[in-house]
Amino acid sequence: MVERRYKKLNTSAELQRLMQWYYASARYLRVGRPLAWLTSGAPVEVLRAMGVTVLYPENYTALCGARREGAALCQVAEAHGYSQDLCSYARTDLGSIFDGERAPMHGLPRPDLLIACNNICGTVIKWYEAVARLYSVPLFVLDTPFLHDQVSESCLSFVVAQMEDMVRWVERVTGRHLDMQRLRETVRLANETTVLWGEIRALCKARPSPLNAPDLFINMAPIVVLRGTRSALRFYRHLLAEVEQRVRHGVGAIAVEKRRLLWDNIAIWHHLYRFYNYFVDYGACFVVDTYTGGWSQCMPEGDLLRGIAEAYATVFLNQSLKHRSEMMAGLMSEYGVDGFVMHCNRSCKPYSLGQYAIRREVMQRTGLPGLVIEADMCDERSYAEEPIRTRIQAFMESLGER
Amino acid sequence: MRTASLSPGARFLGVDIGSLTVKVVLIGSDASILGRAVVPAGYGGQEAAARLVQQVLEGAPPGDRVAYTVVTGYGRVRYAAADEELSEISCHARGAYHLCPAARTVIDMGGQDSKVIRIDAAGRVHDFAMNDKCAAGTGRFLEVMAGALGVPVAELGDLALQSRGALSISSTCTVFAESEAISHMARGARREDVAAGLHQAIASRVLGLAARVGVEPAVMLTGGVALNAGLVAALEKLGACRLTVPLDPQVVGALGAALFARQKGRR
Repeated sequence: MVERRYKKLNTSAELQRLMQWYYASARYLRVGRPLAWLTSGAPVEVLRAMGVTVLYPENYTALCGARREGAALCQVAEAHGYSQDLCSYARTDLGSIFDGERAPMHGLPRPDLLIACNNICGTVIKWYEAVARLYSVPLFVLDTPFLHDQVSESCLSFVVAQMEDMVRWVERVTGRHLDMQRLRETVRLANETTVLWGEIRALCKARPSPLNAPDLFINMAPIVVLRGTRSALRFYRHLLAEVEQRVRHGVGAIAVEKRRLLWDNIAIWHHLYRFYNYFVDYGACFVVDTYTGGWSQCMPEGDLLRGIAEAYATVFLNQSLKHRSEMMAGLMSEYGVDGFVMHCNRSCKPYSLGQYAIRREVMQRTGLPGLVIEADMCDERSYAEEPIRTRIQAFMESLGER
Repeated sequence: MRTASLSPGARFLGVDIGSLTVKVVLIGSDASILGRAVVPAGYGGQEAAARLVQQVLEGAPPGDRVAYTVVTGYGRVRYAAADEELSEISCHARGAYHLCPAARTVIDMGGQDSKVIRIDAAGRVHDFAMNDKCAAGTGRFLEVMAGALGVPVAELGDLALQSRGALSISSTCTVFAESEAISHMARGARREDVAAGLHQAIASRVLGLAARVGVEPAVMLTGGVALNAGLVAALEKLGACRLTVPLDPQVVGALGAALFARQKGRR
């Protein structure tokens, strides 16, 4: 195991306990509650308010990736005919279904229902259709049209209508009823947690930055899988307190912060420490990223379903390249970075397609250099150590010359 | 701390341990080249590098000991005899700018990497792009194709220049391109037309890479592949640009490393 070269958080033990409890309770403590598998961009608040237990294959497969079990499970799926060009989260998940014995925690417990929202990608639809077939369980697809410009009224009412369908569908499938008061409470909790997550990220504007991107990648798990729960809220209060303390005492995530960088795309889970250590060697800290910012958007609380629809339909991956380059350039100036690194992620097409156009646009806007690294979030076979090292070295040398 | 000024006899070494060849350049305090050499890398390149350094030092006019050594290339990490290791990007940019201060774009085509580097008016790296994890568009690709065509790699470019109609090679993958070439030959295609098709395929791939960072003249072509006249012609034709090829394109990275050694050794 490669050691991290950035400061460990005291709350990491609490995070580990929380995540263990989350996975164990979904398996053993359901006491009759139905289990849903969701995509990371699905409106979980509705299910939570209905007392449905939720699991996230994306979180589970990221965990498989971090344990370097991704490629082996991908190969299982490939042996069943799934292409190597398919997303490695999908392949790892399908592999864990085909061969539970081999999978960490013996795979996820069997779902009773599935909900896929295509605001993050189109792959989830086919992936969840495959899971629905394998387990013979019902699937609901929530369609959020891609936003070429602003979100329109017709788009919003289209999504709201589907949310209403979804509520009726879940009620029918699970026999449970949606209590609007409970939904309001869940949304309030989710928003409160989201605000904390946003504050934690914003504290990284400090010099030195109290966190490095890998800290964010690891600590984002509860904002995704436990969104709208008191446990998540409690955890982020503790994390915020620790990060605030670091800032007060001028404690940085890495020993000496010479360069500040922005990270774009999903983490390289299988080389989390080794990969980011290369940058630490040059005194470079990733003070901000686009990925974990995907969960820092609050839901308007007036008309509940409409607010939820608006928040989920406008996640950045569902928006134009123009929006994404503006967002990136904005973050770069807010966080005072010296350059940016884009992970051209073989798995994640919507995130990676257009990166060269975004890169050019952002370089023009900010005058700062950007590096593209080719790899994969979960399949370590797509990671070539030496070429990656060479690119990082060349990039850091050229930053040094500026 | 090293002395602030250079003794007139001070010498600096640049070592470039690539995937196919090792290059060594020795320069003096005035940056003049005192010695240079290229040999096949063999296994890992470390031994070849040590022998080549010895050979270059022995062949050079007598002078002071080497004040500073910079190593670059794929074998750089394991080469212990250097004071510092730097990436090929920095070294190629520095070497190319030294040879041609008007150069704003450097296309380097080596054994397993091709890279396009944009440099600014001061010779600093402004931007760069490298080929992905794939041998297409590299020296290794040409070696494999020369093998398939049954000609020495050094003659491949001249063979391509004799073509009157290049055949299309659609694949950018070395393995698949080889089988495409073989099926062309099996259908009785002329060898020079297949060779010309292969050169066009490489040229278009490298130009695709160049488009990521943009091409600004003057454009210098470096690396062992620059010795191939057929490829230079294909690049100039497809890219509609004139290329500057230095006299000894293989040692540009090692020269850049030596120039960095001179700069660092001066501090």
